[in-house]
Amino acid sequence: MNRLSRLVKLSNVRVTTSLLMTTALMITTPHVITSAFANERPATNVDQNATPWTEQAITQHIDQSSIAEQPNKQQLRALIKAGEQLFNARFTTLDGVGRPMSTQAIIPTKRRRPARQEFSRTAGLDANACASCHNQPFIGGAGDFSANVFVSEGFNHADFDTTDPQFSNERNTNHLFGAGLIELLAREMSTELIQQRNTALVEARETQTTIKLALQTKGVSFGELLVHADGTVDTHKIEGVDADLIIKPFSQKGVITSLRQFSINALNHHHGMQASERFGARWTGSDDFDEDNHNNEIQAGDISALVAWQASLAPPSVKQNLNADWQQAAMRGSSVFDQLSCNSCHKRSLPLKSLVFTDPGPFDAAGTLRSGEVPNAHYDLAMLDWAKQLPQDENGHWLVPLFGDLKRYVIADKKIATLANELLSQRFVERNVFQTSELWGIADTDPYGHRGDLSTLSEVITAHGGQATDARNAWLALSDNEKSDLTAFLKTLTIQQP
Amino acid sequence: MNFLGRILLFFCALSQTALAENVQTEFHADIPRYTEQALKANLDHEYTGPWEYFVGGGVATLDCNQDRMPDVFIAGGENPSALYINTSHKGSDISFTQSSQTSVAMKNVIGAYPINLDNDAWLDLVVLRVGENKLLKGGPDCQFSLANERFGFDGGRAWSTAFAASFEDNQSFPTLAIGNYVDRSAPGSPWGTCDDNQLLRPSDTSNNALVYEPAFALSPGYCALSMLFTDWNKTGKDALRITNDRHYYRDGEEQMWRLDNGKFPRLYSKADGWQPLIIWGMGIAEGDLNADGYPEYVLTSMGDTKIQSVDTIQASEENRPAYEDIAYELGATAHRPYTGEQSKPSTGWHAQLADVNNDSLLDLYIAKGNVEQMEDFAQYDPDNLLLGNHDGKFVEHGHTAGIDADRRGRGASVSDFNADGLLDILVVNRSAPVSLFRHTGYQQNPLGGNWLAIELSQPGVNPSAVGAKIAIKTGNKTQTRRVQIGGGHASGQLGFIHVGLGVAERASVRVQWPDGQWSPAYRVFANNFALLKRGSEHISYWYPPEQVNAQAQSQAQTQAQSQANAQSQANAPAQSPVRSQEK
Repeated sequence: MNRLSRLVKLSNVRVTTSLLMTTALMITTPHVITSAFANERPATNVDQNATPWTEQAITQHIDQSSIAEQPNKQQLRALIKAGEQLFNARFTTLDGVGRPMSTQAIIPTKRRRPARQEFSRTAGLDANACASCHNQPFIGGAGDFSANVFVSEGFNHADFDTTDPQFSNERNTNHLFGAGLIELLAREMSTELIQQRNTALVEARETQTTIKLALQTKGVSFGELLVHADGTVDTHKIEGVDADLIIKPFSQKGVITSLRQFSINALNHHHGMQASERFGARWTGSDDFDEDNHNNEIQAGDISALVAWQASLAPPSVKQNLNADWQQAAMRGSSVFDQLSCNSCHKRSLPLKSLVFTDPGPFDAAGTLRSGEVPNAHYDLAMLDWAKQLPQDENGHWLVPLFGDLKRYVIADKKIATLANELLSQRFVERNVFQTSELWGIADTDPYGHRGDLSTLSEVITAHGGQATDARNAWLALSDNEKSDLTAFLKTLTIQQP
Repeated sequence: MNFLGRILLFFCALSQTALAENVQTEFHADIPRYTEQALKANLDHEYTGPWEYFVGGGVATLDCNQDRMPDVFIAGGENPSALYINTSHKGSDISFTQSSQTSVAMKNVIGAYPINLDNDAWLDLVVLRVGENKLLKGGPDCQFSLANERFGFDGGRAWSTAFAASFEDNQSFPTLAIGNYVDRSAPGSPWGTCDDNQLLRPSDTSNNALVYEPAFALSPGYCALSMLFTDWNKTGKDALRITNDRHYYRDGEEQMWRLDNGKFPRLYSKADGWQPLIIWGMGIAEGDLNADGYPEYVLTSMGDTKIQSVDTIQASEENRPAYEDIAYELGATAHRPYTGEQSKPSTGWHAQLADVNNDSLLDLYIAKGNVEQMEDFAQYDPDNLLLGNHDGKFVEHGHTAGIDADRRGRGASVSDFNADGLLDILVVNRSAPVSLFRHTGYQQNPLGGNWLAIELSQPGVNPSAVGAKIAIKTGNKTQTRRVQIGGGHASGQLGFIHVGLGVAERASVRVQWPDGQWSPAYRVFANNFALLKRGSEHISYWYPPEQVNAQAQSQAQTQAQSQANAQSQANAPAQSPVRSQEK
């Protein structure tokens, strides 16, 4: 059995030919289906029948129905590989790049007129591939200042051509390592918060009392709810999470629920590649909402592959083999980290009950494929080699060393305004409020700050204002040696090739 | 060829064109799946009676016990009316318990509308009858008491078939309009003997108690079957729109009365730009299909349904109510049955615009049914479910959705009876049991679009905020809704306002309160019941009651989805939330 055939046999992922290819070809050449994951080209999922010089990045789509509900290690690897190829794919107009009559908005929104130029570093299209920006220190990573993007919800200023913050928020590219663990943590936290609210509702109704409920999950407090006997809930004392109690762990702001939702948003914004599950005929009346003459240019299976790849990325780690000086400085710096109460928000780890990543996830809303719309696929991340490195606590929970808490805080104020450089709120989250940045991998993800305009750790720590002012002031009061120690510690939080 | 024959020929020609167009229309959005379960919900009720009850058959939908679940008061014609208390839980089968109190069991009832007459904590009912109309004052636990005398309300002896209410400027209590049908005591009745309609304004009283002045006759009346107070030209001043049944009037037409907040009522005339329209008017539904602030009106009739859209330039610059019928362009004439073998014209009654598939586009429900045994009109005449399409048109899916029952529909209520965000449909049928179509999901997809349910309240006068306009903004799109009492066919609703959001996960909601003041923009998350209280900076959310086992199941499912490792879950210690109780 040759290598290709083995892959065919092991993989339960079937690939369907793009709508650009003929149906007859798809039906009569099953061998084409099998070749997708064996191709060594950096392009994605290449149809073997496609000419070697094809300029298409996607010649075959992944059939969602062919993804195993409980994939084994080989099946999962095949899907991950397909996802990686998509993440690396430099999409072309032959794939459907461009959105001449659609804006970058997350809600399908028509342009009034076609953009004069399809590519633009401001309103987008602003990248050829996901990996164009997510590449430091390697694919899936962060981006430097030149890879900043301009976040505008694209409703009122679809065609802005200036970096003036009144039109958009400028954001640096986040890394994606450990993203599956992050989403799993967020799901467990959301589940617990919602359970707490539901339990209080039952109790309030039964006892005919008003219950003041302190919301807390995994040691993180999210303010309080007033739960009344008539089933009404006052949410205005909630902290760091939306009133729906769903933790949205992605983006600098913490406003994206899932990797799936993130992928759909980003594909449209940055490439004009529109996913059918948001921009398709069901929700827009058209299979070609952006009017680029490509129907269904990104299908559910394609997004699933992207999600599988991102969710399975190894988390950052701690640099080993330090020389003695660095080792000692890092140890002292670790203590300083706690002394300054950095760990009150940048929590060293959060416990995770399960490593099984379910896609679609439980908390997405219409417009992102939802659990229940297709059979769920369960990816047991414990099968992956990196999972063996994760420590467990006495309850058997995996300790995810994210150095974060997935909560939003006011991080800038009038006096300390470095990080108050946005004028637009995003998805109901005010301009000076951001989610705690996870510090894992920080040694390899400079520059810092949500705009990526702070070149050193010292600068970004000093920029902490708002609810982090005390920690920032304590940092400023440190001796130079103590500051150096803390830097030494943070510089051990690295991203390494698996 | 006689006149009726020519009309039928026209309908046939029209219908062939329109049906062919419908066939060609692509529709990709979700199609609801409805399951009839009236008896399962303990709704065993029938509207029946002789000629006087060929029309009517209404249902009032209201929350009469402050549990925020919609209860229903249903007309019975010769049978007694009945009040059914909603006992449903979120997402469960719909269930009602019939109230045993005698005050709500009245004979000769045509229809009913919910209203808060006296600004207290409880909703009241206006009951339209063949004979004396009744005001029922609501109290705790859905207790209703007759209040005609208390409120100085003369219920008269007419055959009342339409109702609408509005809070005119500086009034503490609502102005009522009552539409009457044929004056049976007039010589030559029923032909050409349409009764006058009535306008009842509250007296200026120093003790802040509601007393109605004697009724003002809105004459001429042309056999009203539905009426609606409407801000047709965005001036903040309601006019009274009336749809009339040409079957009995002579030289009549559709009407709109200019009231100008307390002034002497005056009919809009040709000189004002009002164009005569002569139809078998049965029901009115208002909706702003293009979100331009000028409402469109659906007028049901025998034969084709009308959708009227105002000439906005004439409306805004010259205050002229010049309307164009756009039903044909929108594919919504619904002039003959869409299924079955009969090609005879259809007969439309209750109409309601609502988003039944939560795709952010308004859909149109029309109750249909032969008057009784009119040979020239379809006997099998199923209700319409015209789903809004992204091209701005409507596409019929009553058959696919499963509401094409062989019953003669009259009044109806498109409401979420089990608080799952999916709109159900209750239909009062003539001489047949009521139908309750529970929305059980979608044909192609198990899950539909996002939605929002909004409850408005304000302190003092007009606590239900009747007349308020709601602007729901998602991205660039704005949808509008208005809190109204009136319209439909002898049927009204008061409670949560439902909005489909499509793929939007959140919405900015602004309210223009009845006095014209705008609220701040409230930020609301989708798939929730949001409570907007005037003067409050914050919204609060309401969570409907869940069946205990269902809640446990739903929590377990949520947990299972997010924590797929069952073994880990089983071993996980429950985290007990920190709480305190406040009385």
